[in-house]
Amino acid sequence: MLGILGKILISASFATSLLALVFYFISANRDQEKTLRIGNWLFAAKTTFLVVASGILIYLIFQHQFQYYYVFNYTSLDLTPRYLFSAFYGGQEGSFMLWILFSAFLGFGLMKWTRPPYKAPVLFFLTMTQVFLLSMLLGWDIFGLKLGASPFRTIAEEMPNAPFLQTNPDFVPNDGSGLNDLLKSPWMMIHPPVLFIGFAMMTIPYCFAMAALWKQKYNEWISPALPWTLSANVALLTAIFLGGYWAYVTLSFGGYWAWDPVENASLVPWLIGTAGIHTMIIQRKSSVAQKSSILFAILAYVFVVYETFLTRSGILGSSSVHSFVDLGLYNQLLAFMLVVTLVGLGLFFWRYKELPSPEKEASILSREFMTVSGAMLLLILGLVIILGTSSPILGQLFVDKPTPPEISFYNDWSMPIAMIMAIFTVLGQYLFWKKYDAESLASELINPLLVTSTVTILAIIWGDVRNLYYMVYLFCGFFAIVGNGWILIRLIRQKPKLIGGALTHVGFGMLLVGILASSAYNSPLVDQQTAQYNEAVKQGEVTDEQGFKVTQLEEMLMLNLNETILVDGRYMVTYEGYELDNTVRRGQQTYKIKFEPVDGGKPFYMRPEVYPMLTSSTAENIQWSVDPDVRTGLLSDIYLYVGGSSYVQEQNDRAAEMNSTMQNVADQDTTAEKESVQSFNFTPGESKDVGNYTIRFVNYMRTDSTELPPNTSIGVRAEVELIHPASDRIVTLNPLFAVYSENGQSYIFSPPSFAREFGLEFQFTQINPQENSIELTVTGLEEEYEPEWVLIVADEKPFISVVWAGTFMLMIGFSISIFRHWGRERKKNSE
Amino acid sequence: MKPKLIIGIVAIVGFTSLLMYNFGESISTYTTFEQAGERANAHIPGIWDEEKGAEFSLETKRFTFHMIDEAGESRKVVYPKPKPNNFEDADQLVVIGEMRGDTFYASEMLMKCPSKYNDTDPGQFTEASVSQNL
Repeated sequence: MLGILGKILISASFATSLLALVFYFISANRDQEKTLRIGNWLFAAKTTFLVVASGILIYLIFQHQFQYYYVFNYTSLDLTPRYLFSAFYGGQEGSFMLWILFSAFLGFGLMKWTRPPYKAPVLFFLTMTQVFLLSMLLGWDIFGLKLGASPFRTIAEEMPNAPFLQTNPDFVPNDGSGLNDLLKSPWMMIHPPVLFIGFAMMTIPYCFAMAALWKQKYNEWISPALPWTLSANVALLTAIFLGGYWAYVTLSFGGYWAWDPVENASLVPWLIGTAGIHTMIIQRKSSVAQKSSILFAILAYVFVVYETFLTRSGILGSSSVHSFVDLGLYNQLLAFMLVVTLVGLGLFFWRYKELPSPEKEASILSREFMTVSGAMLLLILGLVIILGTSSPILGQLFVDKPTPPEISFYNDWSMPIAMIMAIFTVLGQYLFWKKYDAESLASELINPLLVTSTVTILAIIWGDVRNLYYMVYLFCGFFAIVGNGWILIRLIRQKPKLIGGALTHVGFGMLLVGILASSAYNSPLVDQQTAQYNEAVKQGEVTDEQGFKVTQLEEMLMLNLNETILVDGRYMVTYEGYELDNTVRRGQQTYKIKFEPVDGGKPFYMRPEVYPMLTSSTAENIQWSVDPDVRTGLLSDIYLYVGGSSYVQEQNDRAAEMNSTMQNVADQDTTAEKESVQSFNFTPGESKDVGNYTIRFVNYMRTDSTELPPNTSIGVRAEVELIHPASDRIVTLNPLFAVYSENGQSYIFSPPSFAREFGLEFQFTQINPQENSIELTVTGLEEEYEPEWVLIVADEKPFISVVWAGTFMLMIGFSISIFRHWGRERKKNSE
Repeated sequence: MKPKLIIGIVAIVGFTSLLMYNFGESISTYTTFEQAGERANAHIPGIWDEEKGAEFSLETKRFTFHMIDEAGESRKVVYPKPKPNNFEDADQLVVIGEMRGDTFYASEMLMKCPSKYNDTDPGQFTEASVSQNL
């Protein structure tokens, strides 16, 4: 019932949007106030319908109405309220809804603050994008032509041919299939909403640019559009940062950035948006670059839609970690993309001749030239990334069935572009605030260059940088930090409100340095032996059984319980056991790994986690997921996750056993029980848990010479305690070990001692004087003794903190600029 | 024509062709064991050869299994990491690496997993490193 209401509301929302579109069009065309007001009312009605529909969806999720496919597919009974709420946008349909919601709320801001003549056309284009997005949610079926996928469709509608529905059409599952375990993270609460705020805000510069082209007023739109563009930029940057941080600290992607198409989907619009900000600022200052401002504003949104198309149409299916499942929206998404692009670029080229051009060309050493060049570099970088991301389509120019490009493609192109950008940021910032000719600029730059060179040389020596290319790159990065920092300090003294730009450029330089340090100098933490092995592999000296060169480095570390090993020559690492905890996630193990710095620093613990993925595990097949632990430091992070453990193996074996017993109950246990014989090493005082028992070697004991064979050279007894905790019994045994000689030959005499009540037999079989340990051989134990171990993968990642610091500087810098430009805008509004 | 314009066009054409050339080099095509030959970074889709089992060895710290490629050929695959999550469930694998003799050394592995109830669903690929089946 509620589902039908939801569908009706979405359809009503779609219909009112279409109507609003018509009224906005008339208003924009004739500059009518009355039709604009009707449009606004329709817009408000549309938003209300959508809000109520979203409320219903959230209600259905919280009421566990599993007859609805969306509820069934993304939630389950055991989800806590916060994850129930985030399931609202956990799937493709809900995420579209959230996107439109944000876009609609922004619409009211635009109604309030936008001045004529832009108001009506801006709202027209905003509504146009919403019409397309809403159409993805319709779930209409017009003569077999499917339009959209409704979040309110029932299981029966989703899977009409499912066998359990054939037998019982009113079937309602008892429980849902649940939210993907990887998404059950506090980051899921915040990352997607911020991202969609960013996407929704990126629509606004597009709307303003289109309005400017429509109304043929090419300069005035900059002032209102600039703060919106800056805000979109901050929102996207925050989303990118949150996503990267999430990937890094909890998802064990191994780093904060992987050039994954979905990551690129938010980076490219950000780059183009940033390019737009550059040209808008320079257009406002010097009345140049009208064409590029409009073009970038259009392109930023075109790329939002293009990347949406790539990630949601199923095209990327095979190349992305987290692209969405195809919902059959391919054609609609394609239409959305084509309309946004063709209308945008079409109108741009229609008006192209009319657009103002600069009267004379700007000289190279001018802020106009530098700023526009910076924007162009951002555009080029964006286009390179787009090219890589588009490999499933554009790769077909080269080969059939193309794979995604190698990561090196992105790195090889983005590094030099970023280096040129770094130099340009400094030149641009100097020229932005003052006019220079070549000579005066050079003399001004002497001091920053000296500082940069010193810092670079120190960094090269300290970080042992051997790669010439990296040296140049570091120089560029430091130049951006120092040069822009110079300006920043000057501005703080003179005009502290205008430091936004300088601050972002310092942040950019820090990003460059941090990214290189953390990715190129990422080193696995392994023990001495593995390090030697890896060194040999690098030299090409290791061959495998078939005589082929081994190229894969070993990056895992095996730790036995309470056995300390030296790692990387710097840490004594001990595995101190695990704890089972069911409060956060059922069956979660937290491993306790102690790091003691050799140089006498403070010891610390790393606590990586492993948990079974409940949504995809069964009793016979457990799927485990890992949650790494990151120790954040100023200079470097230690990043560590569990690759395996004795506990996990035991559980897997048990599950596998359960699987096989379930499959062949008939031929169980046909293997004859064989008497098991096991040997253990003990040092005095040590105890071991074996199956149901604890065995403790208390100490050595003297022995009577009468019990020994003749000619004995060594004769000693061990005091051994056998503890059976279940029955609370302790049996003390004193097995004998003796070495005697007969006919010039030495023999070992170790008669068995019996623990009759448990059917066990103990022999004292060896003494290892170097380790001060003895060997006991036990016969009759049912369970094999397995030492507890954990396999970890640990990396040291230097200067990740600098990456985050650079990102924060960018955010703060952009935010300062928002306040500045918004403040001016508000004054204009109140006039 | 203005010399600046010519320089500009040459620069753009040069940049674009270099970019496209490099792009073409850095992508490869999904292939088979037979055709992978000497290629250093071959992407091979296929399915797990269940009869021949799969095993992670603690000694060599490698995961070994057999995969049947699209030509129907079954070859041994060595993967230097723990057994990835969803391995048994995957209805398609993509191994990335190189052939050495009769054995394929994968440096990366992608898995395509079916969604639970709907077999027509194309499902999603997950990268092996995202979560580990231990």
